[in-house]
Amino acid sequence: MRNYQVHEYDAMEKFPLKGTSTSTSLNKPNSPLTTYNSVDAKKGNGIENSNIDNPSIRSEITSRGISISSDEDMLDVKQQSVSHHPESNQFLERSVRVDDASSHFSADSDDIPGIGQYDDFHTIDWQRDIARDRMHHRYILKKKHDSIWDLIKGAHDAWSGWLCVLFVGLFTGVAAGVIDIGASWMTDLKFGICPQAFWLNKEQCCWSSNETSFDGDNCSQWRTWPEVFSQSKNGAGPYIISYMFYIAWALLFASLSASLVRMFAPYACGSGIPEIKTILSGFIIRGYLGKWTLIIKSVGLILSVSAGLSLGKEGPMVHIACCIGNIFSYLFPKYGKNEAKKREILSAAAAAGVSVAFGAPIGGVLFSLEEVSYYFPLKTLWRSFFCALVAAFVLRSINPFGNKHSVLFYVEYNKPWIFFELIPFIILGIIGGIIGTLFIKANLRWCRYRKSSKLGQYPVTEVLVVTVLTAVIAYPNPYTRMSTSQLIYLLFRKCGVSDTDMLCDYQRNFADVNSVYLLVLAFIFKLIMTIFTFGMKVPCGLFIPSLCLGAIVGRIVGIGMEQLAHQYPHIWMFSEECSTGEDCITPGLYAIVGAAAVLGGVTRMTVSLVVIMFELTGGVRYIVPLMAAAMASKWVGDALGKQGIYDAHIGLNGYPFLDSKDEFQHTTLAADVMQPKRNETLHVLTQDSMTVEDVENLLKETEHNGFPVIVSKESQYLVGFVLRRDLNLALANAKRMLEGINRQSLVIFTSGNNIQTHTHPPLKLKKILDMAPITITDQTPMETVVDMFRKLGLRQMLVTHNGRLLGVITKKDVLRHVKQLDDEDPNSVLFN
Amino acid sequence: MWKLFIANVLLIYFIQCKAQSYEDKRCKCICPSIASVLNTTSGDKNVLNFITNVPATKCNCEGVVLPKIGDKIKEKEQIFCPRCDCKYENRNTTIIKIVVIIVIWVISLLVIYMLFLICLEPLLNKRLHKATGGVGYQEHNNEEDDTSVAPGMSHAMGVRGNVLNRVGHQQDKWKRQVREQRRNIYDRHTMLN
Repeated sequence: MRNYQVHEYDAMEKFPLKGTSTSTSLNKPNSPLTTYNSVDAKKGNGIENSNIDNPSIRSEITSRGISISSDEDMLDVKQQSVSHHPESNQFLERSVRVDDASSHFSADSDDIPGIGQYDDFHTIDWQRDIARDRMHHRYILKKKHDSIWDLIKGAHDAWSGWLCVLFVGLFTGVAAGVIDIGASWMTDLKFGICPQAFWLNKEQCCWSSNETSFDGDNCSQWRTWPEVFSQSKNGAGPYIISYMFYIAWALLFASLSASLVRMFAPYACGSGIPEIKTILSGFIIRGYLGKWTLIIKSVGLILSVSAGLSLGKEGPMVHIACCIGNIFSYLFPKYGKNEAKKREILSAAAAAGVSVAFGAPIGGVLFSLEEVSYYFPLKTLWRSFFCALVAAFVLRSINPFGNKHSVLFYVEYNKPWIFFELIPFIILGIIGGIIGTLFIKANLRWCRYRKSSKLGQYPVTEVLVVTVLTAVIAYPNPYTRMSTSQLIYLLFRKCGVSDTDMLCDYQRNFADVNSVYLLVLAFIFKLIMTIFTFGMKVPCGLFIPSLCLGAIVGRIVGIGMEQLAHQYPHIWMFSEECSTGEDCITPGLYAIVGAAAVLGGVTRMTVSLVVIMFELTGGVRYIVPLMAAAMASKWVGDALGKQGIYDAHIGLNGYPFLDSKDEFQHTTLAADVMQPKRNETLHVLTQDSMTVEDVENLLKETEHNGFPVIVSKESQYLVGFVLRRDLNLALANAKRMLEGINRQSLVIFTSGNNIQTHTHPPLKLKKILDMAPITITDQTPMETVVDMFRKLGLRQMLVTHNGRLLGVITKKDVLRHVKQLDDEDPNSVLFN
Repeated sequence: MWKLFIANVLLIYFIQCKAQSYEDKRCKCICPSIASVLNTTSGDKNVLNFITNVPATKCNCEGVVLPKIGDKIKEKEQIFCPRCDCKYENRNTTIIKIVVIIVIWVISLLVIYMLFLICLEPLLNKRLHKATGGVGYQEHNNEEDDTSVAPGMSHAMGVRGNVLNRVGHQQDKWKRQVREQRRNIYDRHTMLN
């Protein structure tokens, strides 16, 4: 029965529009048999074979693309299909199968444990999982009318998705709050301590200090380390003490982070976005989204951010949110036990992650849609929206920075920009694209070197060396000494009365170009250190460093423009707007645009990037500058190097990710890619002539992850497809549970009515047989094949010739083929 | 473990609750130095910074700045006040305190556990192995096979055994997973490079 539905639904999945009638017709059990629910509806009234074989045939036909609306049509097509294949008895075979299916109604419907799950490093079969969910949904709907309890269960099933994303949003917000507060406190621990309330960072410590005169640096409550020990504040001695403390704390934090990651959860290292992308595209990495990864990633992130390394916490926040999503999905079996459905929750969680990282809920949803998600139906869009909203709300109520916003570098702008400024903005976009590409290339080269050389054997030592270098070089320069978020805030801000910083000093005295000079040094330092930092074995993201790089460049360009306007306020390009007074150019705005440009160049995002940036600044009027910069940066970036950093890292690690952005441009055919190659045999199962021993031998001798089932070795007509894992589980289960099964028992994949009695009872495995595998002919161009793999999320597809089974194409074969044609090593694909 | 540590946090919280001297609301006004506004050459160039605890509606130049330095600027309020920047802010020090204490707790627990795993456990294991011989290893193997075939089984078996055993099994399973992860990342470099 189940099986029967599976393949019926498989057909339905290919034409989702047809499935929309499901819920309406279910409510009237005696509706005419024109909908897909006919089987279920009829189940209560008894079994009618004549009706039952219709949907099956329909599924065969719909998969060829003919849509049918009524029973009469169907009968016509039935005639056609017979007349079209006069030389084969395929249709007869099919009707035999349909008869078999009818007898399955009485069979027990409880599953063999473990069926529908996947092994580590396997890809999931989206079609199969979605069909399973439909079946489950149908079952719930049918039971709904039986009792109140079932009604409640049905209601719970219906809202469990929303409930799950609600929890995910709540906990993501809390986790982000904890990380924000913890990281800002620990960052300031490098400089000093608040003796009266050690849990406060410097800003919070001085929060209510009532000092009328303000030198911008220190308040009496906050004690720097030299003050704690030697009571003095200025001079060479205290400077060296501060320097030492800075390095020591940085080393302590970094070593803790690296060793915690190594000890408890190695999967917590890195940014996590390439892996999340791969997982969302249908790959299984067990433990990557587990409890320990969550804890260690959060703690390690706090530690590595506070160590002052050139990394950010925004990317890993997406990973943390996905861990939370994964953990909560286990509370709801509908999502926890179905990998395809679980990915809907993970998509929503990724949105919540970006939402809390930047305080940008809409940007988060768009990020999930544009950058990480693979399968993104509208339902998921709404759930992501809700999840991002809840997470942002929770984080804002926690108010981690005391500024009523969820990010430290939130700025509010309301100054108009001149039309002419678009030109510097576009130039900034071009610079951003160049910096982004440069960064990607250098970082990839370094990562490849780390992977292949001896350096990779000393992960903790590497972290320590980079930390010492970072700390030693960073301290003397005040712009690199402060945390990267603070620097970004400083660069984004416009100069007002409250600014005592050097950055705003030049207006009064331009002869002092010290700040610009320091900024250039900071830029070079950040660029080089980030190249070596990203990819180390600590949790590290790269949004913040690239935003910072861009903000520095932007600010410098902005200062230049401002000086230009200040010196020559009347030239044509400022079109009278600067002639009235000062302040017609805002360098902070240039910093924002530059930040967007570099981030766009590194990640190749466009829409989500612009939305994130404008949610950060709260100014709708800057959308056009941001769009111009993002677009210019993407063009330049794509022209110089085709991949963004995440895709490049996916390629470096060889994750099995079929990018839907790439086009397949070669003219190969399915026959060139399919397994087995010439001179090799195709390992198959027959539907009713193999014994348990034969099957076990086949499982022992081969390593394929699935086997096609055919009618007989002679005819080679295809019946279906069975997965190795399911076969193993079913055999083990049968040996344990069923009596009389031994090595001589026949394994049959039909219902076994027309098989003559044997000495041993046969082992019926029809339940695990997928009777609707996707089939193509051997002359199908690979373009179509790759498209089908991408769009349907297939795991394998069967190749036929003249209606007979010829071979199998798996996702692995496709990925290897693509790599081969791109002149890369096909064996680098990580796959089981 | 969680309960213990939440209890600890609460304990610390209640002990220290009374010591709290930091306010959660403030009105902060930043003004340029008087010298720069009044064009007097003398005086310091420092920016002025006023923080008081007044209601949100009174958080402006007139309510905060003038009472303090009104005599210095005299009739120049119209020039001085528009240049001041007043903001009403609030925060929650309790949340900050709890979070920081939790973070310290978690980090120290993890470090202690890590040190335990590095230093003490090899010693304990050595003693255990000497006592039981090869039997322990054999059992361990069987358990592994069971869990890999049927994930649901280990739990069912664990219910029958005592709690300690179950925790031990879980820990073994987790350790195996971590070892596998370590091999993937640090030795074979197949992932997360």
